[in-house]
Amino acid sequence: MKPLVIFVFLAVGWLLRVEAANLTVFAASSLVEAMSEIDRMYEAETHQSVTLNAAGSSTLARQIKAGAPADIFFSADEAKMDELEKAGLVLSATRTNRLGNSLVIVVPSDSTLKIASAVDLLRPEIKWVAMGDPAAVPAGIYAREYLTQMGLWEAIKPKHLPMQDVRAALATVLSGNADAGFIYKSDLKVSNKVKVACEIAGDKAPKIRYPVAVLKSSHDPAAAQKFLAYLFSPPAEEIFRNRGFEILANSPATKTTQ
Amino acid sequence: MVGAKTREGGVSLQLDQVRLDRPDFQLHVTAQLNAPVTAIFGPSGAGKTTLIELVTGLRRPTGGTIRLGSDVFCDHSRRIHLPVRKRRIGYVPQDLALFPHLSVRQNLLFGTPHKTELKTPVDFAHVTAVLELDVLENRRVPELSGGERQRVALGRALLSSPRLLLLDEPLGSLDLELKRRTLPFLRRLRDEFHVPMLYVSHDWAEVEALCTEVLVLDRGRVKYHGLVGPAGFEPATKGL
Amino acid sequence: MPYEDLYLVGFTALMASLGTLAILPLGLPLAWLLARHQWPGKTLVETFISLPLVLPPVATGLLLLQLLGRRGVLGRFLHETLGMDVVFTWRAVLAAVAVMSFPLFVRSARVAFEEVNPRLEQVASTLGASTWRIFWAVTVPLAGRGLIAGMILAFARALGEFGATIMVAGNIPGQTSTLSLAIYQAVETGQDDRAWRLLGISVAVAFSAVFIGEWLVRKRGRVA
Repeated sequence: MKPLVIFVFLAVGWLLRVEAANLTVFAASSLVEAMSEIDRMYEAETHQSVTLNAAGSSTLARQIKAGAPADIFFSADEAKMDELEKAGLVLSATRTNRLGNSLVIVVPSDSTLKIASAVDLLRPEIKWVAMGDPAAVPAGIYAREYLTQMGLWEAIKPKHLPMQDVRAALATVLSGNADAGFIYKSDLKVSNKVKVACEIAGDKAPKIRYPVAVLKSSHDPAAAQKFLAYLFSPPAEEIFRNRGFEILANSPATKTTQ
Repeated sequence: MVGAKTREGGVSLQLDQVRLDRPDFQLHVTAQLNAPVTAIFGPSGAGKTTLIELVTGLRRPTGGTIRLGSDVFCDHSRRIHLPVRKRRIGYVPQDLALFPHLSVRQNLLFGTPHKTELKTPVDFAHVTAVLELDVLENRRVPELSGGERQRVALGRALLSSPRLLLLDEPLGSLDLELKRRTLPFLRRLRDEFHVPMLYVSHDWAEVEALCTEVLVLDRGRVKYHGLVGPAGFEPATKGL
Repeated sequence: MPYEDLYLVGFTALMASLGTLAILPLGLPLAWLLARHQWPGKTLVETFISLPLVLPPVATGLLLLQLLGRRGVLGRFLHETLGMDVVFTWRAVLAAVAVMSFPLFVRSARVAFEEVNPRLEQVASTLGASTWRIFWAVTVPLAGRGLIAGMILAFARALGEFGATIMVAGNIPGQTSTLSLAIYQAVETGQDDRAWRLLGISVAVAFSAVFIGEWLVRKRGRVA
C-alpha cells in the first residue's frame, strides 16, 4: 500500500511542477511544424519551456471555453477567436491577424484524375472528397463557403468526408481512401506524396486569416506577451514563409493593458 | 441388433498388452472377456475406471490393442483409434452424467437415430417397462431421486443399442435399501436384453449377485481372471 | 424525437445488433476450442484475440484502416474485384464494432463453455453423437446463460463504440454517424442542446439494452 501512495504523490507532484513553469500554446493543426520549430528556437534562446497543443481550431476553442489552461491561442479562422472574445476569454488588445493561407484541391499521387477547378469534383469518378468538418473545422468551413459561393455545395455534400482537422483530411487523401481533398497550400510543404490538382484563387476564394492572441486564463501574461512578440520576429517570420504561409501583419498589437 | 451374438457369452472383448501410465502405477492388462456379465473388481485406485475409459475410447492407451469381436477399437502400434462415437458402447459412468437440460424422455432417446420412441432399434416400451421408467418420462432430471436417475442412465445407454454395456459402480452411490431394490433391475437388464456387460465394482456381494466372470485388478495389474463362485476367486483368501 | 435522432438510434442499434451477430460464427467455435483443447500456438491466438481490448481503440481503428482501406490488403481486393468500398461506409462501422466487441464475447463464452461438465460431452459421444451435434445439443444449451451474458456485453460495447469507428468509418451524417459520434460532433461544434438531448437518448438506449439483457439471462436461469 505504501509504495502506491508514494508513487501517486510523486506523480502528481511532477505533473503540477511541469504545469507551473510552462507556457502553453494552442495552435491550429496546420501550424504544427512551424510552431514546433519556433518553440524550439524560443526555448533555446530564453530557456522558457513552451508546450504546443495542435489540433483543429474548433477543438481548441472548445477546450479553452471549458477551462483548459492555455496562454496563447493561434487559430485558423477569425470565427473561433471571435467566439472566445465574446466569451470574455481573450486579451483583445493582444489580438492580431498574423498569417494568411489559401486552399488547394489535392489528389493521391497516383491519381489520374484531372481536376482543373472545383466544378470537376462533381464528376462521378470522384466518390469521396475529404475536408475538415465543414460544421466546425476552419479548413472545412472555408471549403464549404467557397463551394456554396460557386453553387456546388449541394452536389458535393453527399460525398464529402468530414474530418476532425485539415491534417486528417490530408491523411485521407494520402492513403487513397479519398479521391480528392481540400487542404491548405501550406500543408503541401508537409507531404509531397499528394498532387496539387488546383489552387483556389480569385475573388470568390475564401480569405483565410490566422489570428493570434494572449488568453485571459494565462497564468503569466507577461511571459505570454514576450512569446507573442517573438512570433513577429524575423527568425519566426522566415520559418512561417518557409512553411508556406502568407505574412499579414508585421507587428503585434502594441497595447498590453486590457 | 442388440448384443449382436446371443450365443453363450456374447461377443468377446480382447485386451492385449493394454498399457497406460498413471502417476502412481502403470496399468498393464491382457485378458479376453467373454461372459454375459464380467465384473471388474478391485480396491479403489486399482485402475478399474481407467480401464473402462480405455475401452470407451475416452482415453488412449500408451500401448496395446483393444478389440471387440472382430472390430479393432485401438491398436497403438498401428496407430489405429476408432472414435468414441463409432464404437457403439453404452457407458454409464459413476456420476451418471444425465443431461440436466433435457427431460427424461429426451435423455433416453438421445442415443437413438430418430429421437422418437416409434423407431428405436431396441424396443422403447420394453426398456421403459423393465426399468419402470414410464411414469418418469416427462419429468426433469433435477426432480429425480438417486435410484430413478440410475435407471434413466441405464435406459439411455441401453436404448442406443450398444454391443457392450459398461457400468461403473452402478450401485455405488445408493444406500443399502436402494441397492437391494435396484439390483433386480440390473438382473432384468442382463436377462432380458442380452447385451454383454462389464460391471465395475469394489463390492464383492454385487459381483457375486450378478456376474459370472471376474477380472481382478490391483494397482493396474491383473491379479486374477476367472469364474465367480466357490471354485473361483474369493477376496478374503486372496488378501484383498 | 426528431427524425434525425430516431435514425441515429435505429442505425446505432442496428449496427450493434448486426455486429454482435457477426461475432458468433467465429466467436463460438473459437471460444469452445479455447475452452476444451490445447493446441500449438494457443497462447498466441489468445493474445491476439485480446488485442482490441488492450490496445487504445483508435490504435485498433488505425489497424483496421490499414487493412480495409482502398490500398489495404483486404480493402484493395474488395475494391478492385467486387467494386466494394468498406471504409467510410456502414460496413466499416460494422467491422469496427464487431472487432472491438469480439474479445469480450469470446472471453465470456469461453468461461461459459469451461463451466459445462466435460463428462456430459463425453457421454454424449459414447451415445453416438458427432462433435457438431454434441456442441449444439449439449454444450451450447448448458452454456446458454453465459453465452447470452457475453452477447449482452458485446452489444453494450458495440453501442458505445467510438475510437475505432471514427478512424475507419468517419462521422458522415446519415451514413456512418452513430450516437457516440454524433454526441462528439455536437460538442465539438458547440451544439450543446443537441449534445444533451443525444446524451439523454443514449442513456435510455443503454438502460433498455442492459435491462432486456438481464431479463433474458434470468429467464434462461429458470429453464436450465
